[in-house]
Order: sequence, then C-alpha cells, then structure tokens
Amino acid sequence: MGASGSGKTSMRSMIFSNNPASLTSRLGATIDVEQNHVRFLDDLILNLWDCGGQDAFMDSYLSAQRATIFSHVGVLIYVFDVESREMTKDLEYYHDCLLGLSQFSKDASVFLLVHKMDLVRESERTAVLHRKTAELEKASGDITVRVHGTSIYDETLYKAWSSIVNTLIPNVRNLSKHLRIFAEACNATEVILFERTTFLVIATSSGHSDQTVDPLAPHALDTKRYERTSELIKAFKQSCSRLREEFHSLEMELADFTAVLDEMTKNTYILVVVHDPTIETAAIRMNIRIARRKFEELQGDSLVS
Amino acid sequence: MTSALQQSYGGVDAENESIKRTKILLLGTRRSGKTSILQVLFKDLPPKQTFYLEPTMRVTRHTFDTIIPLEIWDSPGNVTADTLGSPLSHFSTVIFVIDIRDLYQQPVAKLVEFVVAAFQASQNIDFEVFVHKAEKLQEDDKYENFRQIHERVIDRLADEWPEFEQVPLNFYLTSVYDHTLQDAFSRVVHKVIDSLPYLEGLLNIFCSNTSCPKAFLFDIRSKLYVATDASPVDQVTHNLCCDYLQMLNSFGPLYKSNATSNPRTAVFSPTQATSPDESSSTPTISSSSSPPSSPPKPIVFPSAAASLTPSQPGTTLTYHLITPHLALLALLPTTVYEMRRGLVEWNVVWFREGVREIWEVEKERSVADSVIS
Repeated sequence: MGASGSGKTSMRSMIFSNNPASLTSRLGATIDVEQNHVRFLDDLILNLWDCGGQDAFMDSYLSAQRATIFSHVGVLIYVFDVESREMTKDLEYYHDCLLGLSQFSKDASVFLLVHKMDLVRESERTAVLHRKTAELEKASGDITVRVHGTSIYDETLYKAWSSIVNTLIPNVRNLSKHLRIFAEACNATEVILFERTTFLVIATSSGHSDQTVDPLAPHALDTKRYERTSELIKAFKQSCSRLREEFHSLEMELADFTAVLDEMTKNTYILVVVHDPTIETAAIRMNIRIARRKFEELQGDSLVS
Repeated sequence: MTSALQQSYGGVDAENESIKRTKILLLGTRRSGKTSILQVLFKDLPPKQTFYLEPTMRVTRHTFDTIIPLEIWDSPGNVTADTLGSPLSHFSTVIFVIDIRDLYQQPVAKLVEFVVAAFQASQNIDFEVFVHKAEKLQEDDKYENFRQIHERVIDRLADEWPEFEQVPLNFYLTSVYDHTLQDAFSRVVHKVIDSLPYLEGLLNIFCSNTSCPKAFLFDIRSKLYVATDASPVDQVTHNLCCDYLQMLNSFGPLYKSNATSNPRTAVFSPTQATSPDESSSTPTISSSSSPPSSPPKPIVFPSAAASLTPSQPGTTLTYHLITPHLALLALLPTTVYEMRRGLVEWNVVWFREGVREIWEVEKERSVADSVIS
C-alpha cells in the first residue's frame, strides 16, 4: 500500500516479473487491487495484493472493503515517496491502515519503504532516511515497524525485499545452520542461498555474526554484498534472456576469491565463496551436487511445518 | 613483423612525454554529449548521471592505456581548428559527435567545416561521426534521422568540396544507455591499432582450435573490444559480453580478502593440462612441442565461466585475463568446455603468450618513438 505514484507496481514488476528499471515508467496506474499469486520456493505461494493508491480507492479500502483488505495479512508493506508533497495526508492514510490491520490481523509485520531514494542526493541519503525513519516511527505508535530506504535503480530494493521475504519463510534458522555446515565442508568463507526466480536472499551461512562485525576478520566482505549479488545476477539474467538464452550457472576465479553459483534445489540457487586459492571449482561443484538431496529434504520440511 | 609495426602515425608529439600516445579528438556542438561519452567509457560514470555533467570550458586531455597508449582530447562546443591548441594533423582520429535531433544547418555546417580542415591538414586522419543520443527517439525515427543526417552531410560536403569522394567518412548510431557506444568506439580504436591483424590472427586461431563461434579481446575497464575474430560482430552477443564483463567487474570488490599475502598466484603450466590421446585434435600442440619459452613470473590467472542453457548444445561464456588490462571473452559450446577444458586453457595460454609479445613490442615502440621526437 501507499500513495498514488509512490512506486508500488514498479517494485512488484522488478522483483517478481523480471522487468528492468527503465521500463517501469511505462506502467499505468493500478486500478483497485491487483492480486498476484507468486510461487516463491515452489510450495510457498505468496499472495501479493497491489493496492491502487488513488484517494478514492484508499477511502474504499478503509471503509467498504475494510474486512476483505485487512484480513489474513501476513505482511503490510507501506510505500512512501521520499519526495512526497503531501506527507501529512500520507501519514493519515497510513495511520488508518494500521488501525485496520490491528483490527483484523494482529500478527502482521509492518514494513515501511521510503522509496525513490535515487532522487535524493547521494551525500544526503543517510540523513534523509534517518529523519524519515524517526518521523515514521513516531507515526506508527507502539507497533514495531521496519523502515528501509529503497530505489529501483540500486541494490537497496533487494535488501528490503529479502528481509520482507525472510519473515515469511519458516525455518530460516534451520536452513542457515545447514548452510554453515555446508560452508565448513567446502572450506568456504560464505555460502548464500537465493530464490530462483527473484534472486532474493533466503538464507546465508553467516547470518548469526551479522551484529558483531569483527574488524580483524580475514576477509573484508562488503556489507552490501547480498543485495549487490542479487542485483548483478538479475541484471545478467536479463541480458541473457535478450539473447533467448537462459542463465544456468557461473564460476569465477577472480584475483581475490573463487565463487561458484549453481542450482541447489529446483527453486533455489547457491553461491559459494571461497578464499583458499588451492580449492578447485570442480570440487565445490561436486559438494553442491552431493548436498542437493539434503537441501531438497530440508526445504520440504520447512514448508510443511 | 617488427618492420610493419614500426610504421609511424605521421603525427609528431609536440610535448616531451615519456611515451608517445595516439591522439583522438572529440568534437561536436554544445551539449552533444562529448564529455558524457568520455566519462561513461573511461571513468565508469553511470549513464543516468551524465545529465549532471558540467559543460566543458576548455580543451582537456584524457589518457587511456590499452594495448596501445591513447590520448583523447575533449573540446568545448565552440572550439575551432585555430583555438584547439594543436594542429589537426597531430591527431590520428577525429570523432565528431552530433545530437540525433540536430537535423539543422548549424551542426552539419560545423561538421563539414572540420572535415575540410582535417583533410587539408592531413590525408591520414580517420574522420568518424557519432550520431549520438539515439535513446531519445523511437526506433523508426531513429533510423530516419540517422539517414537524414548522413545524407545532409554528404550533400553539403559535395557542395563545399568536390573532391570529397576520397574522404572516408564513417557514421555510427550511438547512445550511452546501451552498448552501441562501446561498439562504435571500439571500431574507431581498431583503426589506430597497427598490430590489429596479428591480434585478429591469434583470435582466429583460438576460435578454430576450440570450435568457438565468437571471441573478443576486451579492455576490462572501458569494455571496449580491442580485437575480435573474423566472424561478424553480432550486436546481441556483443551486448551480452559487455554485460558479463560489467558483472564480473562489480563482483570483484564484493568479496575481497584482507589477507595481505597470497594474491592468486597459481602458476598455470600448459603441460599439465594435456593428455596424449587428445593432443592430436589441436594443431597448436603438434606444431610446437615445447611449452611457451619463458613462463614469466607467477602468472595471475583470474578466469570465469558462465554456462547458458537454451536448448541442447548450450553455450559457455568464458573469461580469461590476458594482460592486466585485457581479457579474452569467448563463447564456447558447453560440451567443448566441459569435456576439453584442459585443451581450451592450453590454447588460452598460447594466445596469451602471443598477445603479451605484441603488447611488449607496442610498449617499446611508444617509448622509442617519443625518444626520437
């Protein structure tokens, strides 16, 4: 949800329909609610409701359609345009939405995206985001919200959506525990699991140590690496599809590290990053092949529960 | 080979630089996109940001080292042959940038004026026209405008200067938002690389030995291709290679290692990769039994491969670093890459030896030339 023209449909088309950012300007306004069933991780089906943001629709969501809209909500994603001129009005609607949510689905998590951050000058972005975050947290009262600054032109979009999706997948912890075991077996610095079509991050092997950044760690891993990887692979997939080819797998032996990106299960991809130069890509590939069955099982478990 | 390489460009360096650079001049009316072209190609500026570039007020030079050292001059829109600060005959190439929406008299007149001035100064200048900002128009209008600009320039040249027929004038449709700019600029650079036939020869041999349909020798940072094999360049394949290179470039810094020691120094020796029963399939091996004469220093060997699966044969896109600036990108049938990887790498090593030799000669020559002048 969010005000008219704040970029909801643009985001949806980028993440779930593989459209490039340059084509989003061609999207028309969303009329009423567009429902999408997105098959994510095969068995987990996300029911995505893209709600048109014009005032008339908003009013009807809040009154006549109130029960339909706000029942069985897993996640509310409310999009704010960073350059919005009518912030007070936006906040009013937002407040009403929160009320509706607390009435019909209490357990829903709330994500706020401050969108179109690319319009803000690069040097001012953190400051602007801080201000917005404070403002929005005040507006949402005692409901816990997570605020992300996003833009369809860079990796922030993937970061925000990865964290949204993460709340929806049961057993993420279990998955990352197994990824850690797998990482140890490969002597890998890091192992990351991606969803196949969206390339959003599902789980990583180093999920636990995120809070404690160790300055003495042997490898300077970029903090934005997950999102950047999603973005890069997705862009490359697009250029492959222009050639009517389909991206299958990738292995790299670059100056600093070796990395293998390959299919894990039928709906996930795995990226293994190794810093030990003596390890051959073929060995990593073999490990991936062996681990495949275990992960198929794991995934089955996690979705049934 | 060396005698052919020692041909001079005809231009003499005015300044006492340590190396002699081949000069390329960028001309064009105000706001036609000259600086944008430079920044996008050589300074990694995202195309969207070119909108914010300040107008260029004076002639500026940019140096760029690829297989040969280049010096690219950027000029303000109002420059004339006299205010340039260097005679036109010093340049090996002049690129005139024209906005695709500029169908009118003024830019065309200016272009013609420079063409005439350039060819009076020297017969050896390559004159190239970039019809730029192609992204501003729809597909149909784009080609219509391109054709019209071409026609007008030719007509006007015929009026001004009857002998113009000898003037080879090349037109390219370019845009910073896709890879047409890289393609056009690559073709321009090809003309000033004297050793191009040798590089192409090496690529042809590589392609026939590995049954590879297309291979490029790319400059990594600018994503220009320095040479390619004899088969025609297909726009889509070129785009894919550019995107691939861009992805690898951005991947590098994401998972850097802090360890100060072991930067990848895996010495790659070609002998280990061959097994006797396969050796008959590549002429390279049978023709010379000794491995490349001097395995120079520890060789850094970054490489990458992406496999694509459309239908049965499948394609693998490989990347091998050849010199610190150049990389070989090849489209290989996946079966060849998977079954005969050792042989492919053996061929890469030979290819690299060849390119390095040419590179060394070019380096020596540019230093030697500057000493002479």
